[in-house]
Amino acid sequence: MLPITRSATHDQPTPALRPTRRRLLAAALVAPLLLGAAACGGDDDSGGGSSDKVELSIFWWGADKRAELTDKALALYTQKHPNVTFKKTWQANQGYFDKLATLTAGGNAPDIFQIDDNFIAEYAQRGVTLDLQPSADSGKIDVAKFPKSLVEYGKVDGKLAGVAMGENTQGLVFDKTLLDKFKLPAPTTGMSWEDFIKWATNVSKVAKVPGTQDPSAVYQALWVYLRQNGKDLYKDNKLAFDEADITKWFQLWKGAREAGATPTPDVIHEGNDSSVSKQLVVTGKADTSWVWVNQMPELKKNTKSELGVIAYPGDPSAQWARASMYFSIFKGTKKKDAAIDVVNFLANDPEAGKILGTDRGLPPNLDVRAQVAASVTDASMKQTIEVQNELGTKFGPTSPAVPPKGHSKVKTELVRIAEEVTYGRSTPEAGATAFVTAAKAAIGQS
Amino acid sequence: MTMAQMPVRPTEPAPPVPAAHRRGRVARRRRREGLAGYVFLSPWLLGLLGITAIPMLLSLYLSFTDYSPLIPVTEANWIGLENYRRMFTADPQYWHAVRVTATFALIAVPLKLASALGVALLLNKTMRGISAFRGLFYLPSLLGGSVAVAIVWRSMFSGDGAVNSFLSLFGIKGEAWVNDPTWALPTLMLLAIWQFGAPMVIFLAGLKQVPVELYEAASVDGASPWRRFAHITLPMLSPVIFFNLVLETIHGFQGFTSAFVLSNGTGGPVDSTLMYTLRLYNAGFVELNMGYASAMAWVFLAVIGTITVVLFSTGRFWVHYSDSEER
Repeated sequence: MLPITRSATHDQPTPALRPTRRRLLAAALVAPLLLGAAACGGDDDSGGGSSDKVELSIFWWGADKRAELTDKALALYTQKHPNVTFKKTWQANQGYFDKLATLTAGGNAPDIFQIDDNFIAEYAQRGVTLDLQPSADSGKIDVAKFPKSLVEYGKVDGKLAGVAMGENTQGLVFDKTLLDKFKLPAPTTGMSWEDFIKWATNVSKVAKVPGTQDPSAVYQALWVYLRQNGKDLYKDNKLAFDEADITKWFQLWKGAREAGATPTPDVIHEGNDSSVSKQLVVTGKADTSWVWVNQMPELKKNTKSELGVIAYPGDPSAQWARASMYFSIFKGTKKKDAAIDVVNFLANDPEAGKILGTDRGLPPNLDVRAQVAASVTDASMKQTIEVQNELGTKFGPTSPAVPPKGHSKVKTELVRIAEEVTYGRSTPEAGATAFVTAAKAAIGQS
Repeated sequence: MTMAQMPVRPTEPAPPVPAAHRRGRVARRRRREGLAGYVFLSPWLLGLLGITAIPMLLSLYLSFTDYSPLIPVTEANWIGLENYRRMFTADPQYWHAVRVTATFALIAVPLKLASALGVALLLNKTMRGISAFRGLFYLPSLLGGSVAVAIVWRSMFSGDGAVNSFLSLFGIKGEAWVNDPTWALPTLMLLAIWQFGAPMVIFLAGLKQVPVELYEAASVDGASPWRRFAHITLPMLSPVIFFNLVLETIHGFQGFTSAFVLSNGTGGPVDSTLMYTLRLYNAGFVELNMGYASAMAWVFLAVIGTITVVLFSTGRFWVHYSDSEER
């Protein structure tokens, strides 16, 4: 197995084995080619199915729980329509969009795929997604029972690019067990940012666990903050904030770090870099994490502590009901009608809704949502529904439009630049300038 | 390809025939065998054309377009040198990635070769169980660029990982390693250096080729171990050192997997591990700017090609080949 000669003695070398210039050259040329060839794995993806039987490929990201629930819902569909079967592929969020782009480039995009507001504008504008507006108009995809804002949030340039599969909103999740242990009060919805930071500082002091993850790199926290200040992240596909807003935001958290409300920069980075299941509130490295309310069950699965969830600090009316994710249909699919029917089923069928629960967010169909709310047994799902319904009554009248193409790059630039500030390698002012420049470049704004 | 033109010797002795006749037959036979050679090579040739050459040429074309993987190649717009202009003049992250990659290669490659040579010298002994030792030292390289090793590395070198637990036994408070912008790149280098098995095995094979009588003669003349190493081992080993240097330099510049895994694909914290290939990958597959990524790839190819040519041209000053007829 190992390419090592067994004998360790200094044998007289055979002349043939002596390195010669030509042999070395040949080896140097061939070795990278061989390595390169070995590195190219095969990705076999073949569609197919006769006219009668239909096999639909479907692709989503998520954790085990989501796979389990989605499997069950799709099995129910096959039970009702025995000619339709599914080729299911799922994976973690990290790398999902790389894979989806690669499949699309090869012309092998799945018939149905999950997508979110990071990429839906890009995919729609590039003509990858099927316009579902005609299906919605004809009732093949029934969005009559959806909240109107949720349908609108799936539209790009007037075309329905995806059907919302869940509704969520920002949620500040805290470790209640830890607070109770030290007889500390829980944070409350409507607290000002300053009060929240004071509260977190006190938690750090008393419980010896940092009160909160530093959210300066968390785009949805910045977004809420901007909306509370009469600004927004985007308006008409342009940035709707300026350097002064970002400077204030970075300064707010610089103050919090100096007061000891947040963990050390390396732990902040760890939190920014982690999947849902490793958020600091779960790993015990901070008492609060900045997430989306539908992520509660996944968080709960990874900790023994009791978790609570409230709105982000400040006026909760700045939050909005966001389509957490969508199912879109590939424009080039040969099984359009079947795919449309499946998406409609997943969004509107009461039994399917019951199976899927709140894993992707609150069910988009309000009838299904009410039914799920009445029958749900999972405690953290129940909590999600209660909190979201309660926050829903406080939402303001306007909700943002779908973020423009380049939004995902804006997010990564925020993380990079906010961390430069947390590590002390940049000032809030310099960071704000850098972020505005980078964000403009990302969305192609001149 | 040059390999196909290598002379193939007939296995049976040719029957005695007149000389002119024989030449014709030999030529025919050569042709036939040449053809057979190409047939046997065809899997590799097809692979070279289909998997390497054609996509490479296509990517050269794409580097002058605004191609995104979401659209058909035919719909990409020709934008001339715009991608190259942006790369060199308008993308600070590009130059940052160049700096990170150069730092990585300049430090990690020499250290890796030095460790490989050092361990090879230690293992070039007659001793019970030496094969087992060689196997053990080679093991990290078998795991090679694997994702699993990088994941383990990431968890070992996190703020509360195994390394810091170990250091705390001695009362040392360790750094946050992969989560600290100062230490993330050194941690990545350490991983590369630790996987020195492949060059080590080649060094070991090279050491065995050094004629033992040279050492004997030197010892008789009273040469110290250091002089024996500097004046016999190193010169005799120089072709192997050269080979390893070229391969490891190319390899070092191309480092991707471990940087990707250690930083969760971002090159973070704050771009401290943003290797060139990682930036290229993110440009193509995350930002969906495949035309730009193609341009980056071609510049990269040109730079690595140049470095390799430079290495080869310096080789004549310090690489000694034992077979003089090749000169």
